[in-house]
Amino acid sequence: MNSSSVRRLNRRDFLRSAGLVAAGLGALPSARIFGQTVTLPFAHGERQMATYPQKRSMILLTTRPPQLETPFSVFNEGLTTPNDAFFVRYHLAGIPTEIDSDAFRTEIKGHVNTPLTLSQADLKSFEPVEVVAVLQCSGNSRGFVQPRVGGGQSGNGAMGNARWKGVRLKDLLDKAGLKAGAKQVTFNGLDKPVLATTPDFVKALDIDHAMDDEVMVAYEMNGQPLPMLNGFPLRLIVPGYYGTYWVKHVNEITVINDTLENFWMKTAYRIPDNSCACVAPGTKPASTVPIKRYDVRSFITSLSDGQTLTAGQSVEVRGIAFDGGSGIDKVSFSDGKGQWRDAELGADLGKYSFREWKSRFTPSAGEHELKSRATSRNGQTQPDDPSWNPSGYMRNVVETVHIKAA
Amino acid sequence: MKRILILLSLLALPGLKAEVVRITLPLETAVFKPGSGAQIANGQCLTCHSADYASMQPPKGLDFWKAEVQKMKDKYGAPIPPEQIDALSAYFAGNYGTGAPAPATMAGTSASASLDAKVLAQKFGCLACHNVAVKVVGPAYKDVAAKYRGRPDAMEKVAHQITHGGSGQWGQIGMPSFDQFTPAQVDALARWVLSQ
Repeated sequence: MNSSSVRRLNRRDFLRSAGLVAAGLGALPSARIFGQTVTLPFAHGERQMATYPQKRSMILLTTRPPQLETPFSVFNEGLTTPNDAFFVRYHLAGIPTEIDSDAFRTEIKGHVNTPLTLSQADLKSFEPVEVVAVLQCSGNSRGFVQPRVGGGQSGNGAMGNARWKGVRLKDLLDKAGLKAGAKQVTFNGLDKPVLATTPDFVKALDIDHAMDDEVMVAYEMNGQPLPMLNGFPLRLIVPGYYGTYWVKHVNEITVINDTLENFWMKTAYRIPDNSCACVAPGTKPASTVPIKRYDVRSFITSLSDGQTLTAGQSVEVRGIAFDGGSGIDKVSFSDGKGQWRDAELGADLGKYSFREWKSRFTPSAGEHELKSRATSRNGQTQPDDPSWNPSGYMRNVVETVHIKAA
Repeated sequence: MKRILILLSLLALPGLKAEVVRITLPLETAVFKPGSGAQIANGQCLTCHSADYASMQPPKGLDFWKAEVQKMKDKYGAPIPPEQIDALSAYFAGNYGTGAPAPATMAGTSASASLDAKVLAQKFGCLACHNVAVKVVGPAYKDVAAKYRGRPDAMEKVAHQITHGGSGQWGQIGMPSFDQFTPAQVDALARWVLSQ
C-alpha cells in the first residue's frame, strides 16, 4: 500500500483541493507508521518502519519532530541516495507542512550594503552550480558508541549522497555587498520551536567559509525539487561539513559583524578541541570547538552482518567511502585473515561524493570478519579502535561485517 | 488514491510548475509507559516532542536522566516546575533506563488535593500545550468552550478528554490521558475550560 501523502499542486489545484476539503471530499491520504519493526544492533535499538510524505518505508527514530533513518541496504543501490530514501532530521517540532514556493522568499540581510529579498525565480537568475556531496548527520552511528551517550540513536543510516543544484552563496552575498567587518553569516529556516522559550535553530559559518565558492543554496536534489522533509524549497549546502550546518527551508541569511553565540553554536554540536576530537570515555573535554568537517569513513554495502555465503565460492564485495572533502585516495579490504589488500575504486563523482570501491574474496568454511579501511587524499585514515566524545560525534572506526560461509 | 498518484507524477514532470507543496504527517502512535510520574511526562514532555525521544535512549541510570530533564528545562526552556524534576527523572530512569521505579508517593507525582483548576493546569502541564486564547499544540480553551457551548454533554466530553486523552478532533497531535486527578478535580478543570 502506498501511503505517501504529499501533494504537489499548482495554484488552481490548490484552490480546488481546498474547495474539496470544504465539501468533505478532499481527505488526503495520510502517512502512516507501520507495525513492522527492525532492530538496530544495540540496546534499545527497536524501531518501527514508517512512510512519511515523499518517502519510502524508512526507519522511524522519532515521530515529532520527524527523524527518519535510511535503511542501510539503500547504500548498495547506487552512489547517490534516492530522495525518497534520504534521511530526515529536525530539531524542533514547528516544521512547515505547506509551502507555496512562489511565495517563498529568502532574505539576505544584516551587515550588507543592499539587503535582498529573493524569490525562487530570482535565485534561478544566478549562475546555477552543481555538486555531488555527502550529507551526514553529526550523530550518525551514535547508537554504536561505547559507552553509550544520549541523543538521537542512529545506526549508520543518518547519511546520504546527492547531486545538489543551486547557486553559490558567495554570488548572493556579493550581490548584497558585504560591509567592512563582516565576520559570520547566520542561517535560519522556516522550522521553529513549539515554545517561545526554546532557542530557534540558527547556525553560522565564518565569513571566509561562506564566501568560498563551494557553499551554496540548493533548490534541486538529484534533479528534483527537494522533498519537503529535506528542506523544500531551498537548503544550505556546506560540502564536507556535518549536517548541522545544512539549514533547511532557509529563508533568512544574515551577515553579522560578530560571532553567533546561541545554544546551537555555543553549547550544542561541539567536539573536544584536540586533534582526535576525543577524550577518555566518561570524561569531559577541557575545551570544545564547533563540529566541522567529516572524518574519513568507509562501509561494506553489498554484504550485511550475519549473512551466510557459500564456502569456496568467490564473491565480490562492494562498498562506499568518503571524507570531508580531500577525496578518497585508497580503500583497503580485509577478509579477516590479517591480510589487507587495495580495493578497486569506482567512478569519481567529486571529492565530496561517496566513492565506490570493490574487492573480491573466497571465504573458507567458517566465520569471517570483513573490514574496510579508507585513506583520504590528505592522509587521514580510519582507526582500528573507536575514539569517544560525550556527544557521540565523528565515529569513524574501521567497521566490521560478520559473515559465515558454509 | 490512484488518481492522486497520477496527478502527482504528472506534476513532477519538468516544465509543469510546482507552486504549493503540502504534506500530512502521520498520526503519532508512541505513548509514555504507564507508571508513577508518567502524568508529568505527558504534561511536560509531549508539548515539544513525541514519546519515542525517550524510548530510543540507551539503558542509563538516574544521573543520566536527571541531566536530560535538567537540559530540557535549562537549555530548551521546558516549563518544568522544580519540584517535579526528581520525580520525572526517576520515572524515566525506572521505565526507560536502569533506575529503580519511582515510588508512587514521590513529591511532585500526585496532584495534591487542590481544586483550583488554574493551579492544576499550570502544575500538570495542561498550559504547556494549551492557552486560553490561542492554539499552541492543542486547541485554545476558548475554542473548546465555543465548540461545546449549549451542549448537554459538554462536561462529560471534556472530562473524558482530560482523563482518557484522544486525537483527531483538533489536529494530528493527540492528547495523552491525565488520569491522576480525582473526579472532583476533573470536574473543576472541565468547568474551568468550558467557562472560557
